[in-house]
Amino acid sequence: MNEIVVISLPQLLFALLFIVIAQWTSLAWHLGLNRDITVGTLRTVSQLFLMGYVLTFIFKAESLPLTIGIFLVMVVSAVFIVKGWVKEKEVAYLAPTFLTMLCCYFVTALFVSRAVVGVTPWWEPRYFIPTAGMVIGNSMSALAISIERLFTQMRQQREVIEMKLSLGADYREASGEFFRSAVKAGMIPSINAMMGVGLVFIPGMMSGQILAGTDPLVAIRYQIVVMFMLVGSTAVSSIIVMLIVRRRCFGSGEELLLTPR
Amino acid sequence: MLLSLKDVVFSYGGSAAGPLVLERLDLSVEKGDFILIRGASGSGKSTILRLICRLQTPTAGTILFRGEPVVTIKPSLLRSLICYVPQVPVMVDGSVADNLLLPFSFESNRSRQKPSILQLQSMLERFYLGDIPPENSAQKLSVGQKQRLALMRALLHGPELLLLDEPTSALDRESADMVFSIIERLNTEEGKTIVLVTHSDYSPQVPRTKRYQLLNRRLEPA
Repeated sequence: MNEIVVISLPQLLFALLFIVIAQWTSLAWHLGLNRDITVGTLRTVSQLFLMGYVLTFIFKAESLPLTIGIFLVMVVSAVFIVKGWVKEKEVAYLAPTFLTMLCCYFVTALFVSRAVVGVTPWWEPRYFIPTAGMVIGNSMSALAISIERLFTQMRQQREVIEMKLSLGADYREASGEFFRSAVKAGMIPSINAMMGVGLVFIPGMMSGQILAGTDPLVAIRYQIVVMFMLVGSTAVSSIIVMLIVRRRCFGSGEELLLTPR
Repeated sequence: MLLSLKDVVFSYGGSAAGPLVLERLDLSVEKGDFILIRGASGSGKSTILRLICRLQTPTAGTILFRGEPVVTIKPSLLRSLICYVPQVPVMVDGSVADNLLLPFSFESNRSRQKPSILQLQSMLERFYLGDIPPENSAQKLSVGQKQRLALMRALLHGPELLLLDEPTSALDRESADMVFSIIERLNTEEGKTIVLVTHSDYSPQVPRTKRYQLLNRRLEPA
């Protein structure tokens, strides 16, 4: 019962049938997604295989510099993905985003692996890397949504912000409503996930553990920790990044630097 | 001297290499003055006002307010003393009263006396808006009414200097006359210092008017 069923290569290839269905759908309804589906499939297979080999190597190596190195690569990749989503040239937001992500995610992964799960050493790659991966993946989307929303709204509502500044508001007062709405927009998916978990969907990590033979009652404990960790780290990193990015939208005279497009 | 601009240069991009808009601009404003600056559309008139209240930053030169460089004054405090009213009146969602009392929700104006609804009503009458109840939605007003409301809102927290950017450009003749008569009264009866920029041929009928022309990026007495 608890034995892990290993998926063979022919079985894996059989799963490609789902991709064939997706390609057919795109062709039949002229969605123009065939190229994207092909690239996505190739990237999924190659990136995951590469990750599998890298993780196997890292888990065996049990090296602190290697674990931290992988963590850095993950954060840098996340920053580049955020950069791809947020097309902004007037405000330098990448450096504070990178530094905040680095600090917040490190502290969260450290807290979970050391204080909650209680592994020794704290950087035990089998725990530290997947934990960091989940935090980074979740929070990266929240940050991208929040930052993009902030820039878009502040640019669209430039006249309202300048009107408030002209009447004596400081930059926080003038941009408060847009700041709050942008942070909320980034946080909502994480909060919705807490509402739906166990009812609407079984999270990936828990499914993976159950499929791999773990007792569901053990798997849920990990999942609960993960859900809390994701909401907490997303909230903290979003607020810090957004506070810094918002300040950077204004100059030394608290004048709005975002010009109309 | 309430305000002075000395050798002010502004070019886009923040460096001397960018397209030049204003070149070695000088202007002195005494308390109670009515400064009229005329210039063609796109000549940089609005930029002068925006530089004074730090909504934009000059490329070079000095701007002093009450003898102090504006860059040394906390921006929110500066803008509660020098109020810029843009060409297009902007209202927030909410009632006429919400909009009028908006400045008092900001830290820099919190110590100032908030007017009562009765005071607002009497002021609305002076601005030819007496028929509009303060609880009505501000967004539903006409452009002319919004312009007068924006002017009134700019005055309520008691700024020392009003910067008015084409205050009648979007208005018909009747509304424009109303706005000009209000502005002139503010100067003559209440002693408000006003800097007004326009491309129209408006000529204020007030004794302390100083006229300038913005021509070839420089200010010349008209």
